[in-house]
Amino acid sequence: MTKLTRRALLGTMGATAAAAALPAMPAFAADRTIRHYWWGNPERDKRTFAVIDTFQKKNAGIAVSGETIGWGDYWTKMATQTAGRNMADLVQMDYRFLFEYVNRGALKPLDEFVGKSLMIADFDKGPLDGGKVDGKLYALNIGSNSQVMVHNTRAFQEAGIDADLINWTWDDFAKACEKITAKSGGKMKGSDDLSLMIETFESWVRQNGREFYGPDGKVTATAGDVSSWWQMWADLRKAGVVRDKNKTVILDPPIAESGIAVGDTAMSHYWSNQLVGIQAVAKDKIGAAMVPHKAGGKPGQFIKPSMFLSLSRDAKDTSAAIAYMNAWVNDPEITGILGLERGIPCSPKIRAALAPKLTEVEKLSVDYFTAIQSKVGPLPVPAPKGAGEVRDAFMRIGTDVVLGKVEVAKAAGTFIEDAQAIIERAQ
Amino acid sequence: MKRFFARNAPAYIFLLPWLIGFFLLALGPILASLYLSFTRYDMVSAPRWIGWGNYEYMFTRDRRFWKALEVTFTYVALAVPARLIMALGVAMLLDKGLRTIGLYRAIFYLPSLLGASIAIAILWRQLFAADGVVNQVLAMVGIQGASWITDPDTSLYTLVVLAMWQFGSPMLIFLAGLRGIPRDLYEAAEIDGTPGWRQFTRITLPLLAPVIFFNLVLQTIDSFKTFSSAFIISNGTGAPADSLLFYTVYLFNEAFKFFRMGYASALAWFLLVIIATFTAIAFFTSKYWVHYENERD
Repeated sequence: MTKLTRRALLGTMGATAAAAALPAMPAFAADRTIRHYWWGNPERDKRTFAVIDTFQKKNAGIAVSGETIGWGDYWTKMATQTAGRNMADLVQMDYRFLFEYVNRGALKPLDEFVGKSLMIADFDKGPLDGGKVDGKLYALNIGSNSQVMVHNTRAFQEAGIDADLINWTWDDFAKACEKITAKSGGKMKGSDDLSLMIETFESWVRQNGREFYGPDGKVTATAGDVSSWWQMWADLRKAGVVRDKNKTVILDPPIAESGIAVGDTAMSHYWSNQLVGIQAVAKDKIGAAMVPHKAGGKPGQFIKPSMFLSLSRDAKDTSAAIAYMNAWVNDPEITGILGLERGIPCSPKIRAALAPKLTEVEKLSVDYFTAIQSKVGPLPVPAPKGAGEVRDAFMRIGTDVVLGKVEVAKAAGTFIEDAQAIIERAQ
Repeated sequence: MKRFFARNAPAYIFLLPWLIGFFLLALGPILASLYLSFTRYDMVSAPRWIGWGNYEYMFTRDRRFWKALEVTFTYVALAVPARLIMALGVAMLLDKGLRTIGLYRAIFYLPSLLGASIAIAILWRQLFAADGVVNQVLAMVGIQGASWITDPDTSLYTLVVLAMWQFGSPMLIFLAGLRGIPRDLYEAAEIDGTPGWRQFTRITLPLLAPVIFFNLVLQTIDSFKTFSSAFIISNGTGAPADSLLFYTVYLFNEAFKFFRMGYASALAWFLLVIIATFTAIAFFTSKYWVHYENERD
């Protein structure tokens, strides 16, 4: 009998373990699993899990495991999983994060699948190209949206506002605020105080003929843009026609507590794919207006891809993942479940198929989308790294303005300085 | 050597689960964060060594860092004494010899158990909101209350009040300390006709000094680390206008919102330095004001 050394014993054990593992492998391959990770809300999660069920029924052998979390924690978890090389095969992607993830090599390009297993030849070119970085397609558009001024149609009717809500100006907006506040005896204010909403402010900057961020990612908005914006809202606050300052300082209330939902205000700023969600919690019928224009100014709004599906670097079974991705944008049953909840689909065929089954509010968002097509400007360059922090700074410094603790012009200068420093540091 | 193992091996084997936990889950991450504090690390690309860069930025260019220190120090300076006074006061009331003392102890301790919870922070936010309960009560007596949480001038004080309310654990320690003071001292004072407040300053406080010291150190460390209530009440950002930008909230934002893990690690290490300094000061000065009963001098 040979003497059994420890190394030999370990070696034998390792080989046995490997042999034992081998027969299991084909079984594992037949049972293909892909992971899909998205940020959601209850309604979206319900629809997405229904999509997963439908897909699994039609594609025996592919199991999809869905992982969902709110927007607030989504990017933290994503960064952790990326660092741990444990990304889901398919991840929901946002326009402002796309370039960051592509630059870090976390996503795989989709070009090799286009026309073979990913059929997108007849899709709208503009929205589709929003998912390209350096000429390569890294993200598949699963819905487009745009800014919208949501308004309470009953309040508008009662106050007798007859402005053209697609072409109206900031003057019309101020007058509407006055009329609504006066009509309701101050119980319902004309609008939320949007002075701390950087999304609305970005439209203001574009109306002035500039972008918030230039093509090199530097801040190109000026202190003048900021001070004129904050001054306009200061005047509206002084006139008492916008929502109370204390409701303004606490930002991002859940939709159910928003002014529109509880009936405190007649207008607020949202993204168009939120119309369905807002109508669900609002008592009165809502309508969709454009962000008011500047008389003689440039278009401020733009149409942007609201969400993408991307293939992650860590995806192993790419063919299963692409099959799932393709079903998302082409399978009529699946797109029927999704509806317009994530935005307007960029396949004309799918849009036509959805048209007859739309609910009233879904129809509103489609009509709105059609009406604004010629009124919007080009898609701005994606926000640079640090943009989220700039957003926080805008709220932080703006809070002091809302509370009347600092002069508008001075605060505007501070904000631009801070924003530039934040962007510089983030690179 | 052999005998050492023979004698101690079982002990170490029993200790093993803890040792593994300590090295893997505590010491490992601690050392990793020390290393990361000298790097730029965004969790996606590999950490890049930048020497003292993070610390330099912190002290020379980061205005929010100084703001965070200001908020945290103000809070510690107000909340620690407030909580200790509250705790001592309630402990002395309970020490008067109530029959149902066990019940009261439990009731007064309850807020401390709840205090760290998210639910209480959310409740606090509602209580002190512009149209919250506090203002409704004030309105009944004709006072127009401020918007406590959304006004940067008052928001920090709502948290001090919350801290005061969570006096349970120092109270229990004080109560034990009070029980340890020999009754005959009070009886002697009684016979001499010493008024109550003098009994307090001449007997209770000096004999309680070690317990006060212990509570002071614990509560100071605790207050520097305040996080969840500030995080919830300020919407996770330190709002309004950075008035609730606690050091830990800032650290969390840098780490998990802006993905600057290297910088956040540097912030964490500096927090350790601050806490260590304060604890050292407390220990150093303690020999002048803390006297232990069995001391001979």
